Amino acid sequence: MTDPRTPTDGGQPPTGDEQPATDDKQPATDDEQPPAGDEQPQTDRPTVLVPLEVLEGESLPAGTTELLANAHVVLLGYHVLPEQTATEQAREQFGETAMSKLGEFAGALEAVGATAETRLVFTHDKQTTVDRLIYEYDCLAVLVPNSAERVESVLVAVRGTVGVDRIARLVAGLFAGTEIAVTLYHVLGEGETDEDAETLLNGVRADLVERGMDADAVEILIEETETPVDAISGRGEAHDAVIMGETDPSVTTFVFGMPAEQVAERFLGPVLVVQRERPEATDASAE
Amino acid sequence: MDAPDPSAAPDADPDPDAGVTADSPPAPGSDPIADVVDADTGEGELERTIGLTGGLAIGIGTMIGAGIFVFPGLAAENAGPAASLSFAIGAVVALLVALPTSELATAMPRSGGGYFFISRGLGTAPGAIVGLGLWLGLVFASAFYLVGLGSYAGQVFLEAGIALPVNPAVPLGVAFGVGLTVLSLFGTENTASLQNAIVVVLLIILTLFLSYGGLDALGVFGAERTPERFFPPGGLLPVLQTAALVFTSYLGFAQVATVAGDIKEPSRNLPLAMVASVLVVGVFYVATIFVATSAFGSARLGEFGETAMVEVAREFVGFPGAIAIVVAGLLATFSSANASILSASRAVYAVSRDDLIPTAASRLNLQYGTPHVALGLAGGPIVVLAATGQVELLAEVASFLHLVMYGLICVALIQLRREQPDWYAPSFRCPAGLAVAGAGALASFALIAFMQPASIGVGAAVMIASYGWYRYYAADVELKGDF
Repeated sequence: MTDPRTPTDGGQPPTGDEQPATDDKQPATDDEQPPAGDEQPQTDRPTVLVPLEVLEGESLPAGTTELLANAHVVLLGYHVLPEQTATEQAREQFGETAMSKLGEFAGALEAVGATAETRLVFTHDKQTTVDRLIYEYDCLAVLVPNSAERVESVLVAVRGTVGVDRIARLVAGLFAGTEIAVTLYHVLGEGETDEDAETLLNGVRADLVERGMDADAVEILIEETETPVDAISGRGEAHDAVIMGETDPSVTTFVFGMPAEQVAERFLGPVLVVQRERPEATDASAE
Repeated sequence: MDAPDPSAAPDADPDPDAGVTADSPPAPGSDPIADVVDADTGEGELERTIGLTGGLAIGIGTMIGAGIFVFPGLAAENAGPAASLSFAIGAVVALLVALPTSELATAMPRSGGGYFFISRGLGTAPGAIVGLGLWLGLVFASAFYLVGLGSYAGQVFLEAGIALPVNPAVPLGVAFGVGLTVLSLFGTENTASLQNAIVVVLLIILTLFLSYGGLDALGVFGAERTPERFFPPGGLLPVLQTAALVFTSYLGFAQVATVAGDIKEPSRNLPLAMVASVLVVGVFYVATIFVATSAFGSARLGEFGETAMVEVAREFVGFPGAIAIVVAGLLATFSSANASILSASRAVYAVSRDDLIPTAASRLNLQYGTPHVALGLAGGPIVVLAATGQVELLAEVASFLHLVMYGLICVALIQLRREQPDWYAPSFRCPAGLAVAGAGALASFALIAFMQPASIGVGAAVMIASYGWYRYYAADVELKGDF
């Protein structure tokens, strides 16, 4: 999708933007060419999707504003309707209320320096909506909105080299130049040595430093365990937020749920789920 | 280049270049019409969640209950083996209407279906008659399906060898009516996937049964059966009368249009789902009557009444066959009744959104997300009508009210093609549009003429009452071309 407008600097009006357009802060070329992570300017704000069930009384959890102060936030208000109800019907009745709430939340985010866009969707299926918006905005991460009292340290689970670049973009984008400390965490896989893991995490640290993080603010933690989900949620308790990667859907995830969801349920704090690189969206629409 | 503001395109902008399908910015998996309708107008956007399979399941699931599991006995009694011709006539009429409906639905993919097309294309008065008529037509149809469901539930007792003092069809139908209404009030989850599963199971059972029965009827398994005279003693007249009666079996295709607002890629999926579901059920109906009338004489079939298919299956495959058809009949009439109750509540929503009835009727319950008033307005009269147990009258009145709508849909297509308003830019154009729509309108109205006088009387009374209500309550509402 091509945004015809020129990039602007200030925060966007919370509700006035009716164009389902991509982020104004993205470089214009991002829309035409497959984005290559390493070509992104390092000051680029990471785009984070924050889904909120506004009409069910879900509000912006405490700590979210601190966590996302440097992000470009796509604030998705959604309302899930049973299949027998026309979505139009709900929009007519609840649209205005929900919009004004979303506007408030966007205002709170903009007050701490984030940029925010709001989208309100009436849907029969939450996942369809979330997936569509991840594509549309090429979101780097999705927030599982739990609250945190304060945000001082963040646990970043690094699984392997795949997608590590996107994790680095997110972490540096959010926390470079802030007081927030980061712990890079890796669970040893089968046949993997401590040295391998150290090489991996040191590589990430170097990347983060190159992207503007303070080297002292990045720690490294390696552990050997059979149950990564438990380990991440357990370690997370010593921190205020968790950042982890998305998992490919499989039978296991179908039965037990996505690891990120499981972690969010046990850890109870905010979890940022870094999304896989999505196939280029503009190709699909260029019919 | 500046993209046109989607929210302004359909109504306010007189510039034809900024028309509906003009160069709106493409989105992933975009559909030009869907983009315009769903565009955020400052109050949120709408997610489309029903694909082609879902659309087909709605169409087939709503229709297949009546034609196969309720009508064969009644139809064969009236028209003999030529009842299969009656069903074929119904299919042709339905197709003639389905094509214009598809065109209109892709021009106006909004919830509300036929009512929406007619009120926007022809004006408020016909819209009000059709809108209120559609609500009541669906109420009659649901009551009819419920009596059918009750008959099959009663059959369960018969098969189990439990003797009941009274015919349980009506009381059971009423009980199911109450149950379904309450269920839909509390927001049933996954109704779509349930509906899909029911349709698949039904199609499998029916295909097996009809292939076996068909081969048997053709004499493949030995015992050749004596073919009956194809036409009944009265000639063509009973066949046409039966076509009018069994047309209730085709009411479902327009239900696909009532959920048009939820269908993904509506310009492709809407026409496909409507036309394909009519074709699929039409083939099944004709085959069913052929098999049923080969198994028994028509008179004998008529004596079995609503559950004649159970006896047909018993004749071919014995007890297991009877059980399979009882189960299939329960599923089919259940899904038809459920779909019609939900459609009736959507019909109430559509007219109340346009202020033809008080808007309180479409209030949603925030906790369950369901329109409780509209569901009550649908469920209440359905239960009352089901209690009458007048299967043929219920079916014919339902067909009457739907046929009026179908005829007017065709008229609306002709009118819109002539007027060519700016907002009218269907992405599917009905081939030979004017001819098909003209034939569809004539056929719809002609079919009404073959109904029983009582059904015509009740149907006409409903239409007059709807018009009276419009004059009394909504005379100042202007809907033509209003989006």
